[in-house]
Formats: sequence, structure tokens, C-alpha cells
Amino acid sequence: MTRRYSSSAVAITAVLALCAAIVAFPRLGDRTGPYGSPAGERTTLVDGGDLLGVSVTFYVDHLSAVMLLLAAGVGLMVQVYSLAYLAGDPRYRSYTTIIQLFLVAMATVVVADNLWLLLVGWEVMGLCSYLLISHHWELAPARAGAVKAFLLTRVGDLGLLVGIFAIGHTFGTYEISEVLAAMASSDAPAGLTAIGLLIVVAVVGKSAQFPLHTWLADAMPGPTPISALIHAATMVAAGVFLVARLYPVMAESAVTMTVLAVVACVTMLLAALLALTSGDLKRVLAWSTVSQLAYMFAALAVGGYDAGIDHLLSHGAFKALLFLVAGSVAHVIGSTALRDMGGLRGAMPWTFATGTIGFAALAGVVPTVGFFSKDAVLESAWHAVGHESPVSAGVAAVVLAVGLVTAAVTVVYAFRAWWMTFMGGDGATVTGAGATGAGAARAQALREAPPLMVGPLVLLAAATLLLSLAMPFDLLMGLVTTLVVAGAGWLAYQALAAGRDPADLLGPARPAFTRELGWDVGYDGAGVAAREAGDLVVATDRDVIGFYPRAVAWLSVQLSRVLTRSQTGNAQIYVTVLAVGVLLATLLVVVR
Amino acid sequence: MTAVTVVFAALGVVTLVSAFLVVTSDQIVHAALWLVVTLGAIAGLYILLAAELVAWVQVLIYIGSVVVLLLFALMLTRAPSGPGSATATRNQPLAAVVAGAVTVGLGAVVWAGFGGEVIDEDEIRIGTAERLGDALFRTWVLPFEVLSVVLLAALVGAIVLTRKGAR
Amino acid sequence: MSLMLPLTVSCGLFGLGIYAVLARRHAVMVLLGVELMLNAVSLNLVAFDTWWADTLHTGQSLTLFVIALAAAEIGLGLAIVLALFRAVGNADIDAQEPPASMLAEGGDEL
Repeated sequence: MTRRYSSSAVAITAVLALCAAIVAFPRLGDRTGPYGSPAGERTTLVDGGDLLGVSVTFYVDHLSAVMLLLAAGVGLMVQVYSLAYLAGDPRYRSYTTIIQLFLVAMATVVVADNLWLLLVGWEVMGLCSYLLISHHWELAPARAGAVKAFLLTRVGDLGLLVGIFAIGHTFGTYEISEVLAAMASSDAPAGLTAIGLLIVVAVVGKSAQFPLHTWLADAMPGPTPISALIHAATMVAAGVFLVARLYPVMAESAVTMTVLAVVACVTMLLAALLALTSGDLKRVLAWSTVSQLAYMFAALAVGGYDAGIDHLLSHGAFKALLFLVAGSVAHVIGSTALRDMGGLRGAMPWTFATGTIGFAALAGVVPTVGFFSKDAVLESAWHAVGHESPVSAGVAAVVLAVGLVTAAVTVVYAFRAWWMTFMGGDGATVTGAGATGAGAARAQALREAPPLMVGPLVLLAAATLLLSLAMPFDLLMGLVTTLVVAGAGWLAYQALAAGRDPADLLGPARPAFTRELGWDVGYDGAGVAAREAGDLVVATDRDVIGFYPRAVAWLSVQLSRVLTRSQTGNAQIYVTVLAVGVLLATLLVVVR
Repeated sequence: MTAVTVVFAALGVVTLVSAFLVVTSDQIVHAALWLVVTLGAIAGLYILLAAELVAWVQVLIYIGSVVVLLLFALMLTRAPSGPGSATATRNQPLAAVVAGAVTVGLGAVVWAGFGGEVIDEDEIRIGTAERLGDALFRTWVLPFEVLSVVLLAALVGAIVLTRKGAR
Repeated sequence: MSLMLPLTVSCGLFGLGIYAVLARRHAVMVLLGVELMLNAVSLNLVAFDTWWADTLHTGQSLTLFVIALAAAEIGLGLAIVLALFRAVGNADIDAQEPPASMLAEGGDEL
């Protein structure tokens, strides 16, 4: 890696971000909501003609603008951060190039009007995440995590593919703006449950929701800035974006929204509990991402369109911040395990300060952006209980209850991770596993991360605080969640101060959660079943269908063997046959 | 039955018998010599059919040049020409059947077409050199000239083929 | 004289010629068979010429052409036999190298 190359890579990303900003800023003002005729600006680059042709068309509205700015901002931060984080890495060049491709793919997804164009960006993102997760491909977990991410998201992509076909079949167009216009018109097509469920399958895979939730945590062996990129701005956000983009189509079917709400409820609590029990800082953050994404889906499912988008934006800011903080910590101490950390507040003041803001936002503490956006999510669920919404009041009530419980769990695990990272003794662990570092010598070796890493942290922390100004505020729900935060925080503090792990609050269920419920065993079982089914298909193809071509080929060979006998090369026999033929032909003519 | 018919039939038998010996002889040189007999008998048949010039051409060219050429070729190749030098192939039984069928078939067709026809000996126009020359150089002069080109081509071809190192 | 008399001799000659072409091993014998067949045709031509009492003597003229062609043919044929003998050491019709069988190898992997 040369210095010049790395700075040019950042420069290219900056130019990309600038372009995104130029496209996005004019649209930021017109916040019109999901319904009504499409308000965005449509640009046609290539007109594919009728339904069979693929057009290259772009559609930029408020939603696209928000996503573009989020992706470009986080991408730029990650690129700057990686300058220091991956300094001296032999594969830095391919790393930055793939990040740029990743960002371009995400931009394609958010501004695409044609669904096939969206699918292209969607799949390129899957590929890029595979390549970046396996950046350290010399490590077995990185390879395994990359393959797992690729395969599980592929399951969802199948849903998207079929869903796109279904949309084209139902609406007669693959242009999103035309689909939305059709939904806004008086004769909107009905019976969109199948399409909605297929989209749900797509986003469950992409955004790591239950039951395809495990890949995101296993993607952690990738470089930490990549985790920030995937979790905050690009890969998993695309799932939420897709639901928001096709929101009128999805919301038309109560079944779809109920399924989405149930998936979101299960995921948010399950992932929060898994985050609580994890012993690895990055895994905690990964599970928290899954949980927070579930919040967004829950908000969308109960009709809180704006709340879902706001939470996506705020989560993008504070989760990028948290991952970069985790990267700084890992960069300094060389590990991501929580038991290797502790007492870092003195050695790393900037990281400590920004990390505190990030964890506060995750927990939903006033006045961070996380507080406002999570409130908005819960408020939209509360609103859905009493008013008309895409789901029934009962489902909305469940969403509200699970959301509140999860908020409490979130506070506990965020507090736990924060405490175990920055508080406590040197390398001491609250679980009592013993110190691994050698006290004073270690403390001397510890120092703040380089400025190129601290800079993005500060910027993202500022964004985490300042974005609050743009968020709505509901006093009642704010009071409720503040109470929940205070109560849960007090509970966690009591446990930690007493030297116990808050995860022990789960009691006898804790080991099961530490094993992540053995979910991967289920995947393996499904994989084995799928492979056996595949073997059956292969055997059928080989032994039943393949029999016919082989039999024809065998017959041809045997027949040609017989015919070969006649090709003796003996001219006399040829002439004999010729004479017989002439004789027979003559006879035929004469006798008739 | 006229004397011409009797002589014709006798010469026909000689022709067929000698031709049979040509194709069944197991020595090439014997076959070539029997061919001389066959061709000579055919020349006799031509005379009986009042084709005077053709008969002489038959004797001069066929017997005089073709057969001699053949014998020269046999000597030049130094191929074995003694007994057993001209055996039949395994194709022989089939060949006999096919040849028999062809003969019978041709005979049947000819019989069906010309079974009762008779050559009127009073009407015969003798094919003298004068008459044939007249026909050849008036009516058939173009084919005649074309044939000369064919002969030239055959001459050149034979020289090219037999020249040493032509392979 | 019946027309059938020369025609019968002609048919017989032709059949014998065919037999020589189809059954004999030596190339020169095959050429002899061809000569017999040509003579059969010539005899036919002359017989019909006479029967028809043709003023143009079509049949006999064609017979002369056939004889000339036969001379050319035997000249070329013998040249070929000579070249063959020089090249492979014999002049046997059925002893020449057969073409390499296209399906002798492969075809079983299907």
C-alpha cells in the first residue's frame, strides 16, 4: 500500500459522497410519506421498452435522499477510519475498492426505479459483503462467516426475485414509481399478500431477521469498519429500505404486515437476549443491530412509516459510531472479547467519550437520537392500538409490549457492554474469569487510537447528538421509556457493581442463549435435508431423465458400429452394392 | 434358319465361352490371351452384322493395341503372372449372383422389348469405310473432335501417372 | 436373323464383365471386365444399327467412339495400376488400406 493510493481511495469515496449529497439534498425537504402519488424525481437513462425490456431508470424521493446521505456519510467515515485501521494491510487496495463498489451498489438500490436494477444492486451488495467479511480469508471463521452470510442472504434474494416477477405480473410494470402510482390510484390492484410475503422473505434474509438471523453475528470476523458499514448504512439497511420503498404494496395486506410484525417481535427480543449473553463486544453489537432492525420492521408493520425511517437513520449513525469505537478498542488491545477489556476510560478518553454517547443512544437515553427515534417507534405502536393501522389492535399491543421489554433488555446489555469495556479494573472481568493482562505494563502500552480513527468517531458522535433536533418527540412515551431506561439501568448497575454479570439475570436459561439456542444446528439439519433432496434430484436427473439421452447415444453408437462394418474400404463391395441398387431400381421401373 | 444365323450363333458361343474363360482364368496372361479370342469373335460378329469398318477397327485397335498394351503393362509391373496370379476375392459368390441377375434382367428386358424383331437381310446397309466416314465427318464431326481432346487428355494423364517420382 | 441373337450374346458378355469387375482380385482383371462390358455395349449398338438400317450409321459411329474411349480408358487404367504397383507393391483391389474407422475409438464415454 502506498500513501498516495490510500489517499486517492478516500478522495474517490469523497467524490462519490459529494455526488450523492448533490442528488439527495434537493429532495430532503419534501417529506410526503409513503402514500399518495409518487413525489420523487424520475430519470430515465435507458428505456427498455415494454415489460420484457430492462430499463435503467432512477427515482429519487425523500426516502432515497435519506438513505443516500446515510450511506455516503457512513461510507466516507469508514473509508477515512480504515486509513489508520488497516494501515499496512497487504490487501488494502482491494478492500477500499470493494467498499466503493459496495457504496455504489447501495446507491443503486436506493435510487433505482426499475426493480431489476434494484436487484442488481442488491446482489452486488451481497457479493461485496461476502468479499469484505472474508477479507482475512486466511482465518477459518472469516471464510465460514462469509459463506454463511452469502448463503443465508441468498435465501432471501430468491424471495425478492420471485417477488419482482409477481409485481411485474400483477402491475404490468417493473418501475417502482409506476407501481406506487398504481397503488395511489383509485383502481389499485387487490390481493397483494403473496407479493408482500415474498418481499418479507427477501428482507428477512437481507436484514438478518428471524429465522435467518445468525449470519450477521457470524460476519464479525471481518474488519470492524466493514461491520460498521454493513450494519449501519448498507447491507442490512437495504432490507428496511425495500419495505419502506414498497410500503403501499406491503401495507395493503394485513397478513403481510402481521407476519412482519411477528417476525420483528420475535427477532427483537431474541436478538437482545443473545446480545445480553454474548462475551464478545462485536457480537453484542451485531445482535443489537438485529434487534434494532427488528424495531424498524415493527414500526413499519404497525404503520409507523416515518418512525421506521427515522430509526433507520438514527441507528445508522449510532451503530456506525459504536462499531468504530469497538474497532478502536480492538485496534489498541488486539481483541474483541469483553473479558480482555475493562478500565479503558483513562487510556482512551476520546474513544470512551464517543463510545458512551453511542451506548447511550443504543439504550435510548435522553437526549441522544436513539431516545427520540425509539420513542417514535413505540409511539407508533401505541397509536396503532387505538387507531386504524395495517395490523389489528392486538398485534399492535404485542408489538408495544415486546418493544418495551426489549428496550429494557437493550439498556441492560448496552450498559453491560459499556461497563465491561470502559469501567472496571484493568483487564478484570465482572464475570470473574480473571485478569489476562499484566496490570501496569499493559496500562502503559494502552493509548488513544490514531487521529484518523478518532476523527470519524467525533463526527459520528456529533451526528448522534445533533440528529435529535430533526426527530419528533412524544412526551408520554418519552416519560415511559425514560422510566424503563432508568429502571433497567439501575438493575444492571446493581448487578455490575456487585461484581456479577447482568446476563446471570436470565438464570438457568443463560447457557442456552450463550450457545445462541443451537440455531445453527437447525440450519445444518436443513442443509443436510436440502442436500439429500438435491441428491435425489441429481439421481433422478442422472438415472431417469439422463437415461433417455444416454440410451439414444448408446443406440446411435451401436447402430453406427453396424454401419461401420459396411465401410470396409473395399471398392469391389461398394461396386457390388451399387450394381444391386441399379438392378433393383431398374426392376422397379420395368415391373411397374 | 439361314447360314448367317448358324455362323452367328457359332461365333456367339465362341465369344461367350472365351469370355467366360477370360473371367475365370487364374493366370492373367491366359486371361489376356483368351480376351484376344473374344475380341476376334466379336469382330466376326460385326462382319456378320454388316459393320465392316467397325470390325476392322476392332481388330486393329482392340486386338492390335489394347491387348498388346495390357501384356506390356503386365511385363513392366513384373507382377506375378504365373498360375494363381489372378485369384478371386471373397466377394465371388455375391458377384456371381449379381452378375447372373444382371444378365437375366437385361435379357428379360431386351426380350420384352424386342422379342419378335428380325433383322431383314435385304434391307441391310453395309457399314463401309465410305459410308461411315461420310457419317463421321458430316453428322458426328463435333463429337469426333471432342473425342480427340479426350484422347489427348488421357495421353497426358497416362504420362503424368507413370512418370517416375510423380507420386 | 433374329435380333435376339446378338442381343443375347451382348447380355452374356455384359454379365461376365460385371462378374470380373466384382469378383477378381487383380486390378488388371478388373480392367479386362470393363473391356468386356464395353464390347457388349458395342455389339448392342452395331446390332441395332443394322436392324434399323440407319442411313446415318449412328450405332456404328458410336461404336467407333466407344472403341476410342476404351483405348483411352485402358491406357489410363494401366497407368494407374502401374502407379499403384509402384506405390504399394501389389495391384490387389481388396488389399488396400481401409480408411481409419471414425468410431473405432471413443463413443463409449456417453
